[in-house]
This record gives sequence, structure tokens and C-alpha cells, in this order.
Amino acid sequence: MSQNYDSAARPRIFRDTFLALWHHRALIQILVKRDIAVRYKRSSLGLLWTLLNPLLTSLVLWFVFITIFSARLPDGTQFAPYLFAGVLTVTFFTQGFNQSADSIAQGAGILTKVYIPPQVLAFSGSLSNAVNFLFGLVALAVISLITGDGISIEAPLTIFVIICMLMYVTGLGLMVAILYIRYDDTRSIFGILISFMMYLSPIFYPKEILSERMLTIVNANPLTSYLDVFRHVFSNTGVATTSDWLYMSLSSAFIFVIGIRIFSRAWPKTVVML
Amino acid sequence: MSKLIELTNASVTYQIRHGASPTLKETIIRSLKREQKDVRVKALNGVTFDVEAGEVLAVIGRNGAGKSTLLKLLARVLPPTSGRVQIKGSVAPMIELGAGFNGELTGRENVVLYGTLLGRSPREMESRSDSIAKWADLEESIDLPLRTYSSGMVAKLAFSVATDVPSEVILVDEVLSVGDAEFQKKSKERMRELFRGKSAVVLVSHDLESIRSLATKAIWIDHGRVKKYGEVNSVLDSYLNA
Repeated sequence: MSQNYDSAARPRIFRDTFLALWHHRALIQILVKRDIAVRYKRSSLGLLWTLLNPLLTSLVLWFVFITIFSARLPDGTQFAPYLFAGVLTVTFFTQGFNQSADSIAQGAGILTKVYIPPQVLAFSGSLSNAVNFLFGLVALAVISLITGDGISIEAPLTIFVIICMLMYVTGLGLMVAILYIRYDDTRSIFGILISFMMYLSPIFYPKEILSERMLTIVNANPLTSYLDVFRHVFSNTGVATTSDWLYMSLSSAFIFVIGIRIFSRAWPKTVVML
Repeated sequence: MSKLIELTNASVTYQIRHGASPTLKETIIRSLKREQKDVRVKALNGVTFDVEAGEVLAVIGRNGAGKSTLLKLLARVLPPTSGRVQIKGSVAPMIELGAGFNGELTGRENVVLYGTLLGRSPREMESRSDSIAKWADLEESIDLPLRTYSSGMVAKLAFSVATDVPSEVILVDEVLSVGDAEFQKKSKERMRELFRGKSAVVLVSHDLESIRSLATKAIWIDHGRVKKYGEVNSVLDSYLNA
């Protein structure tokens, strides 16, 4: 890689960020591998451990909600695959966001000694959660086959959902990483905001039970469009409208661009606080 | 000779905030009350020097003079607030060796991870990992998790990785004394070898005897400013007489 450095060179934010990610692709690969390896090395269950968490979460929710709703949703689809698809997506979102936002403060030990573009850490954080999501898809496929919902022929389009989510959580993570370093109390604020976003999206309830007003709010949540599109393309357990597709693509691109911009501008003044 | 490191009038200003832990709440309240503005501290003030290939520059000065900030500037970790920093080639920082190591991974996995953090290719690191372990006398434990290592073993491994291949620019922060007496001798020998090569070396140390024998020139920094810069013995003599 070209390693000449001139602090006076004019930064070109987007070109520099993408080049940095490209130049450090080997490091990103290693960081993602390390992340997954560390996660499963600690337990005797191995790789299953990464799946156990969303599976158990789904199981608990399933027990709770099966008593409220029946095993089938109002439109006749099975509740279990609907629920698990929701939990998987939201796990990707929350853990991807948390890891991406935390990665830079946690990497302070490295970032203050060796030159690593910090965006590399944030991106690796989201990427390793995308890999976890992929593992989860295998489990979801099994559940969908058992309940008889099957897998849609459009399932490969899930890759588009993954790319959008990657951009979305990386963008958000980069923005919030700056706040996490600058202000100690922002962590708890974002914890609350994220759970707010979770409950205002149809993870474990069908949209049909919502009142008109609540539906407007839930649909305004970008997370809802991800859930709709993913459920629709994977096993047709949800309805994805054109506006869902548009909202998902545009919000992810917007957040990604804004995140990179805010981060690159704020970083030189933030790095001294690490 | 080519200048691998060139600093031109470089300054770094830190903003120091009042209060123990900066919170958003406090910051908002303070800005509403318009009280206690941040204090600005110039850690480095108009520093100019260059290091050519094959030269060893020693940085001396009291604690808090700005030596660590200077190393961060050279490691590209900090951008200068004003002035210019230019570096040609790859930088190998030997600063607090072991940053980036992970206890759950094996020694070998850590060698690859650390080497990649330093900008080398993972494949190259994998093929070099045996000789790196051998040099650090850790052949037997290289495939055990790093958490089973003693701190001395970790430091030896980190040193072995960092010095495995010469980089164009080498930054050293008091790492000449790693491990037991025998290893110290070995590592000093290796450092000398590296210093005799074509790299541009910046060495921060309080060990003036080592500096005299290793460095070709020196820079004395005091309160962020260059007090004296030039041939190593003349700078050291002024520093000692100050």
C-alpha cells in the first residue's frame, strides 16, 4: 500500500474513507474473524453460541406472544418465522450499532499508538454482525421449513438488505462514536433511544394490530422498512411496498454519507481526547 | 540522502476540559451558564526537524515536555494543529508494545493480528510466525492462548514481531529493556542492527548513555519548543549542563 503521508494534503473525505477501507481489507478480515473466534472460543458450544442468543430471545417472545396471539398471524402466516426474522434483523441492528459505535473508544489503545484509520474498526464491528446475521439465516431457513412457510425464490435479495443495514449501522456508529468519546453520559442516552426504536418496529407484533396513528409512527421508523423487506424477500412472511424498498435504501445511503462526513470532520479534534 | 521524516513548524494544541468526566449534561449546562471555557495547552510549538534514511534521531526532554505527543504526530495518530508533517514509507511504532494483543487468541494468531495492525500482510505474518516465535524463545507456547503468557513473554513476542522486518521509519519509546537479562542483550543487539540499516529512526529515551552510542543526532524539547537540535553529543552536553 502507498504509505506516504503529508498532513498538509487536502482531505477528500469519501475517497479517503473508501481507500482506507480498501487498503485495510486484510485487517478488516482479521478483525471480523477475531471477533467471531473470540465470541465462540469462550464457550464450549462453539459457533452455536452466536445463534443461541437470538434463538433463545425468540423462544421467550414466542412463548409470551403465542398466548396473546395464536400460532398464526391474522393473515394466516406462522408466528415463529415472522418473529425470528424480526429478532435476527433487530439483533443485527442493535449489536452492529453498539459494536460499531464502541469500537473506536475501545480501540483507543491501538488508535493512539499505531496509525489505523478508525473507520476500519467501525466497519469491522458492523461487518462481524452481518456475518452473525448470515449464520442466523441458516436457523431461520430451518424454522421456516419446519413451519411450512418455506423459503422464497427471492431470498437471495436478502443480500441487499444486509448491504443497506451495514451502511446504516456503520453510519450511525461513526456519528455516535464521536459522542461516546466526547461525553461519557451519551452511552445511556443511546441505549434508551435504541430500545425505543426497537419497540416502535414490528418485531414481535404484526402491523395489523396497530391503530392508524401508531402505524404512521411505526412506518416512519427506518427499522420497519428493513423488517418488511427482509421478511418479504426471505420467506414471504411480510409485505414490502415500494416505499419500504425506497425508504430502506435511501435512509441507509443518507446515514452512511452523513456518518462518514461528520466523523471525518470531528475526528482530528476528538482523537486527542482518547 | 532522502528525508523520510520532515516536520515544518508543527504545533499541537490540546483542549483541556474542566471537571473529572465530561458529560453532555454538564457541557450543556456550562454553555448555558457561559462559564469556564476550555483551557488550551500547546503541547508542541513550532517544531521543525528532519530525519534522513540511516539517521537515528534521539528526542530528549523532561517528562511532559511533549515527547509523547511528538511520537504520536510521527505515528500519524495525531494530526498537527498547525504546521506540516511529511513521512515517506511505512512507519513501525515500537511504542508500548503489545497494544492490540488479545488474550483469547493464541500467540500465533496474535502475531498475525499485530503484524497486520502494523501494516504487514497476514499471509506474510503467518509464514514468518515460526521464526518470530523462535526468536522470542516461545516456540513451545506459540499455539497457546495469550492469556496463559506472563507479561514478560508477551513483551518478548511483541518485540519480536515489531522488529522482524525493518520499516522505512521506526519510532522507539524506551523499549530497549524487555524481558530477562539474556533477552535484553539479544534485543539490544537487534535494535543496533536495525539502527544501522537504512531506516529513519526516532528514539525517545531517558537513558543518555544508550543515546550517545545509538543516535546520530538529537533534539531537545522543553515545554513544547525545540531548545536545541543538532549533532547528538553537543545537544546532550547542553542538556546536561542546563
